[in-house]
Amino acid sequence: MGQPKPPTRPQIPRLRSPTWRTLGIRLPRLALFAVVGPGLISGFADNDAGGITTYSVVGAQFGYDLMWVVLASMIALGITQEVGARLGLATGQGFGGLLRERFGVRGAGFAIFTMLLANLGDTVAEFAGIGASLALFGVPVPLSAGVAALLVIVFLWRANFGRVQYVFIAVGVGTSIAYAVSATFAHPDWGQALTRAVIPRGTLTAAYLLAVLGTVGTTITPWGQAFIQSYVADKNLRPKDLPWSRLDVGLAAFLTNVVAAFIVVACAATLWAHGQTSINSAADAAKALGPLAGHFAQTLFAIGLFTASVLGLGTVPLTSTYVATEAFGWERGLDRGWRQAPVFYALLSFFVGFSALFVLIPGLPLIAVMYLSQVFDGLLLPIILVFVMLMARDRRLLGNLTSGPILQTLGWTVTGLISLLSVALVISEIAPH
Amino acid sequence: MIFLSAFINAEVVDVRQHRVGRVRDLVVVMTEPFPHVTGVILKGNRRVRSIDWSVVRSWDDKELSLKVDEAGLQPHARVDNELWLSRQILDKQIVDMDGRRVVRVNDLQLSQVEGSLLLVGVDVGSRGLARRVGVEGLGRWLTAMLHLDWPQKLISWEAVDPVTSDVSSVKLRIAHTKLAKMHPADIADIVNELSPDDRSAVFAALSDEKAADTLEEIDEPHMQASILERLDVDRASDILEAMAPDEVADLLADMPRERAQQLLQKMEEDEAEDVEELLAYREDTAGGLMTTEYVAVLHTLTAAEAIERLRELEPDAESVYYVYVIDEEEHLLGVLSLRDLIVAKPETKIRDFMIKNVISVGVDAGPREVAEITAKYNLLAVPVVDQHNRIQGIVTVDDVMERVMPARGGGRRRRIF
Repeated sequence: MGQPKPPTRPQIPRLRSPTWRTLGIRLPRLALFAVVGPGLISGFADNDAGGITTYSVVGAQFGYDLMWVVLASMIALGITQEVGARLGLATGQGFGGLLRERFGVRGAGFAIFTMLLANLGDTVAEFAGIGASLALFGVPVPLSAGVAALLVIVFLWRANFGRVQYVFIAVGVGTSIAYAVSATFAHPDWGQALTRAVIPRGTLTAAYLLAVLGTVGTTITPWGQAFIQSYVADKNLRPKDLPWSRLDVGLAAFLTNVVAAFIVVACAATLWAHGQTSINSAADAAKALGPLAGHFAQTLFAIGLFTASVLGLGTVPLTSTYVATEAFGWERGLDRGWRQAPVFYALLSFFVGFSALFVLIPGLPLIAVMYLSQVFDGLLLPIILVFVMLMARDRRLLGNLTSGPILQTLGWTVTGLISLLSVALVISEIAPH
Repeated sequence: MIFLSAFINAEVVDVRQHRVGRVRDLVVVMTEPFPHVTGVILKGNRRVRSIDWSVVRSWDDKELSLKVDEAGLQPHARVDNELWLSRQILDKQIVDMDGRRVVRVNDLQLSQVEGSLLLVGVDVGSRGLARRVGVEGLGRWLTAMLHLDWPQKLISWEAVDPVTSDVSSVKLRIAHTKLAKMHPADIADIVNELSPDDRSAVFAALSDEKAADTLEEIDEPHMQASILERLDVDRASDILEAMAPDEVADLLADMPRERAQQLLQKMEEDEAEDVEELLAYREDTAGGLMTTEYVAVLHTLTAAEAIERLRELEPDAESVYYVYVIDEEEHLLGVLSLRDLIVAKPETKIRDFMIKNVISVGVDAGPREVAEITAKYNLLAVPVVDQHNRIQGIVTVDDVMERVMPARGGGRRRRIF
């Protein structure tokens, strides 16, 4: 082991240098940011095209009645994201890899097919969001769909989405603040808003169920579940990082839903309060920003919706393809070429291509597409959650990080409730009376 | 061809055609070159039990028939180095040594040789996937209709290295002998794809030098740190000692302080001192880039004595580009190449033929400045001096290039998450 030493060294007395410890030079670089991040990014990407639209529709249609769903989703999101983070921390494996190892080809295949379906819906929503937002500037949908597809390609090609991501998140934060301010300016009935957050109200109609499931489905998403786990694993976070991760996902769940609540309130105070209970276009939804921005409401809304859509577009298709290829052992990753990772790129192209073409359907109601895609997400969500919860209680996989009885109970309760909701919706749609 | 998937869930019947249960798993013993099946794990009557392979008379994909009746069944003889195929290998990641990559096991190929059943290959192809879902026949029919070839993608067991590490069951010691023979850069790529437990398992199997080289190749402080944290302190410090001090400093800087300090204390004092010195420099300076492994000789020596000194030091290849000449206070006086030393008359004093105006950089110089100087003067390494012109270390060309230009392979790993 004897490393060569300059000959004169031993003869020269030298001081031990404690500087790096005492002076704090070379602090572990941004250790905090490495940990506090995945949840927040996932949370912000959560308020994507589908998210903004769904909260707007819900606020306009039911006023403050569904505030309780926003609160319930916040709690549920915190729970499911913590479970996801634990899976990543304990195993160091992404969602796809772990599904495969735990459930084999059939089980993992089923779960991943389900997730891909939901994510395809989300991707279509992102394209619809871009179409709807640019339509406010008079850009025809075919053109904006093309632009969006091009944007994705540029991102994947030039990559480093990691950095660009923060720009989009910054705009996302801006939009969120805009909603908060606008909601305040609109003189909403705060008492009502807070009461409805705790005491549910409403009649169990099909439309009501649809709104409930849409809100849940846009907050807790199959891809969000995959994202948090894969992100935590990919960043090499370790079981000892659990406290930070919890803080991260907790904070993210809180912020995401506070923003959601402001959107609902803003829409309730502007649209619903003035008798406009349906949103048919982006221009309608933009009215919620009127109290703040006046004539610029449309521009502001368009920018917000556009960046949210692009952020989602940079996250959802990539997460989907990553999870699928990981589970089946196909080559993957942006640092491989087409030749090395054909399935990865083929799937990615399919996601982008299908969604871009889908929004080209003439006369497609973009708002309805975004809204219903989130309901679709909500319908498929229980399946993913069952898989997640089954893994979460597996001591062989998780060791010390296995969910305790409290987290288990909470997790299964959430799963059960959402399943019930999905079943109820399906029944109400089949037999409306 | 015989595949593991055909066995799983097959009905087990005893000699009197009584149903005993269904096959859960096959147990193999890790014999060289191919492991052989020694037992069957089966589930029947709501309990899981094992039976010895020797009582199996025949099998097909629906049924496994036994030579004895249910009452006469004995559990298989457990040994240390056994492996449960479905539980520990199937669906897990495995290293394909020839392709130098990590693949996922879709199915396992078995072969009957002289009465025993051997594990001979790993199926990593789409046919294996299709077989598991039960649509291989359909796929074959389709591809035949289209006149397409649908080849099996099998890797011989001899060419794979299982990396599985099961946390709960008896810790299986896999030698990783094949993996240990690969180039550190290849091992680093493979380790990149593995889960943390599997990573540590691989590192446990490597020699200190190999582990050190591999760790240097990994090039991602967070992952390096996570690997070291899972090794015990003694082993980790042994590996660190085999690494270049500058790499160690980079690595420790990214670790929790207590752990870093603990590791430093366990290291040999000389090594630890070097590392601590380096840690005092900012990362984006020549001081942070440099290594303290360099060769310096006193100016009073003759050429012959200097060569003798080199023999004693046994320097690494990287650090012998240049021989620096210093006085008793480590002031940098000159530089020599090995060639200069060898062609000089043995009794000549080295200060008489050394190159006197040495190109050097200060400890605070930025990476770009260091790169420009190395490029301008075509240096393989540039000495780093303090404000009194005392040599502190050298920056080698590869280290500075790595910093200034995107890492090897045309760019750093592109992140998805």
